[in-house]
Amino acid sequence: MSRTTETALVREGRSSYEGAAATAIGLSGVMFAVGLGTLVDVLEITTPVAGVQLSTAMGIVLLSLGVGIISFGLASRLDYVDTRPQPSAGIVAAIAFTGVWFAIGALVAGAIGLGTVSWMAVGLVAGAVAFAVTAFPREDIGSTLPAGSVAVLGGVALTIGVIGPGWEWVLVSYNATLFGDTAVPVVVMFASLLTGWAAAKAYGGFGTRGRNVGAYVLIYLIVLSILAVLVGLVAFVVVKGSPGLFHGFSIGGEQVISWPFLTNGASLLADVAGVFPALVGTVWLVIGAVLFAVPTGVGAAVFLSEYAEQGRFTQVVEVATNGLWSTPSIVFGLFGAAFLIPRFGNNKSLIAGMLTLGFMLLPLVLITSREAILAVPDEYRDASAALGVSKWKTIRSVVLPAAVPGITTGVILGVGRIAGETAPILLTTGGGVLPGKSAAPSVLGGFQLSASPPFVTNPSLLEATSALPYQLYALITAGLSGNIEAPQQFAWGLALTLLLVVLVFYAIGIATRYYFRKKLHQ
Amino acid sequence: MSQTDPIDATDEMNRTAEQTISTTDGETAEETRSEWVDYDTGGETKLAIKNLDVYYGDDHALKDVSMDIPEQSVTALIGPSGCGKSTFLRCLNRMNDRIRSASINGTVELDSEDIYQDGIDLVELRKRVGMVFQSPNPFPKSIRANVSYGPRKHGDIETGLLARLTGRADPESEEELVKRSLERAALWEEVSDRLEDNALGLSGGQQQRLCIARCLAVDPEIILMDEPASALDPIATSKIEDLIEDLAQDYTVVVVTHSMQQAARVSDQTAVFLTGGELVEYDNTEKIFEDPESQRVEDYISGKFG
Repeated sequence: MSRTTETALVREGRSSYEGAAATAIGLSGVMFAVGLGTLVDVLEITTPVAGVQLSTAMGIVLLSLGVGIISFGLASRLDYVDTRPQPSAGIVAAIAFTGVWFAIGALVAGAIGLGTVSWMAVGLVAGAVAFAVTAFPREDIGSTLPAGSVAVLGGVALTIGVIGPGWEWVLVSYNATLFGDTAVPVVVMFASLLTGWAAAKAYGGFGTRGRNVGAYVLIYLIVLSILAVLVGLVAFVVVKGSPGLFHGFSIGGEQVISWPFLTNGASLLADVAGVFPALVGTVWLVIGAVLFAVPTGVGAAVFLSEYAEQGRFTQVVEVATNGLWSTPSIVFGLFGAAFLIPRFGNNKSLIAGMLTLGFMLLPLVLITSREAILAVPDEYRDASAALGVSKWKTIRSVVLPAAVPGITTGVILGVGRIAGETAPILLTTGGGVLPGKSAAPSVLGGFQLSASPPFVTNPSLLEATSALPYQLYALITAGLSGNIEAPQQFAWGLALTLLLVVLVFYAIGIATRYYFRKKLHQ
Repeated sequence: MSQTDPIDATDEMNRTAEQTISTTDGETAEETRSEWVDYDTGGETKLAIKNLDVYYGDDHALKDVSMDIPEQSVTALIGPSGCGKSTFLRCLNRMNDRIRSASINGTVELDSEDIYQDGIDLVELRKRVGMVFQSPNPFPKSIRANVSYGPRKHGDIETGLLARLTGRADPESEEELVKRSLERAALWEEVSDRLEDNALGLSGGQQQRLCIARCLAVDPEIILMDEPASALDPIATSKIEDLIEDLAQDYTVVVVTHSMQQAARVSDQTAVFLTGGELVEYDNTEKIFEDPESQRVEDYISGKFG
């Protein structure tokens, strides 16, 4: 493509425009965060801000953002600033805005009580107009006008209180009611997502650079919301669970740390009911499952990737393992109940649970180990073979060490899943709803030598044991009642303990992986 | 093809080779070819390759190659990409066995012993015939562990926990071996103070010399090098070239190279492979580069072809 005009590499006279656009991006980000906060009830839409309710304040900001965005587009279109817009905002933006405006038109028409045909028609008209406005004008108008209008419309609705604290919309056909404290943050978040994107495009001066900045901002806002959901979930459990978990917690005194919730059983005599038996049960279940699944899984992966002829057989195994990994856990639980329990004394037992969870863990360990082994460069195998080192020694001293970080990742993921499983434990391990401290399995101390085969026995492996997720389930099914004070607080503390146990297992796995990676690369 | 026929007497080799060629391909030009490859090296023959054919599936990668490789010298294999020179090299320590689709006919004799006969011990073979690859491929381990890898795995030195507990560990002999191998590979000076560092932290040229040291540590008789300097910068390349010349005093070196200058600089005799997997000419390096018999080789060397 020949260039008819010279374009300057340095764009001049845009600093105030860029400054305004950057402010709009920042404001959109703040609005998005505030919207998120109100959605998860950190903030209330009725909170007074500068003399008005939060929802009204958000409306005013949205309105000014919308007007600002539209003026960015106009300033660019009227050549007040040096931008490089493309002829059109593009088909993707056009289709997206068509969808957005169809939804807005249909919702508005529906909310004011028009019939099906009418709201459909209004939506279609709005969508068609949005398509035309996006697709046909130059990019600066095409990407600011439809986005800015959304913000203006939302802003007006919030400012004058069409949607606000007292607002509700009964959705007859869904048998539900939409309230203002849900609708307001949704409107704010959605509109600020659009304004953030459009402002970012204006900041980049439209064109290639503008699209780049726009995508960047959009992705960041979405990542922010995903992170917020994660943090929100954890924070919720922590806030609800802390009172239970730290009930009676003290440092100093007779014992250095006294943490009755973790060290007590749930007996009538104890001052503070605790989860000790379930905690120990969960830890032993995970350890048992890992001890069973990791050697078998890694061994099978070594066979499949190093020894077996790649072909029909390995494909079948691969499909089967993928299928096993996505098999519902209740199926594993039924297998454990029907196959393992009769073989271990016909009682629910710790070892049956360990093996069942081990079976669940096995496919993931196999899949990830296989990937990790295949990812080890063939050069290492060649180099080792050229030194006359046998295949097995090569696998043991070169291939497996190089694959350990990948294998560990698989085990981490798997442990996260099995530690929280309820259904298999319900069917294979059992245990009481509120077991006393003496019900905790003492696996290490339980080994006994005997004179007859199998010479070593361990009764605690053969006893029913509680586990954290199972105890939580059992408590909820029992209607959050029992011989303990504040069962609800107890249950939340239990949930937090489970979360922490899983996080501790993660931490161990990540530390292991870090150690081996460092060993490989430093 | 008749290459699988048993060939019992070495002195009949050339005649048999010619017979095979004339039976497979009757053209006169092809017959004279065997004269260009029938080069008497003068030295003690270390490796004798007779009527070697290699197929990858249906692809005839190497066609009826016969040559003698003399002891304690550098033999260069040159030719355009895809001419089979790397395939040929990998036949010499049976690394081609690792490729499932490869099938090999013919014989390769190491000290008059066919390495393709039944019952050959691949471990012993590869201990005697070491190999250095095109791109440096040290293990993700410490420099020391890389060098001592071969001997440790062969049980020649013991450093493991059990050996240490039972007093069989001999850290001094490991130290000695590592030092000797690295010195021989001209790397000791650069790494002597950081033997515990990961080998992946070395530069490309250092990594390649480490791979040579790793190969020397198992005390081979022959060292095969597959374009050992093609991934390296000129300075690292010249270090490798100096090393190759130096190694030829004690070892038999066979080196595949893209670079004709490199072949001319380091080798005593040169074999030219051309497209289609045929060995076209094998002679004294000077003769090949100054006055090749074959027109095609002359074209290739002067840059008209390939």
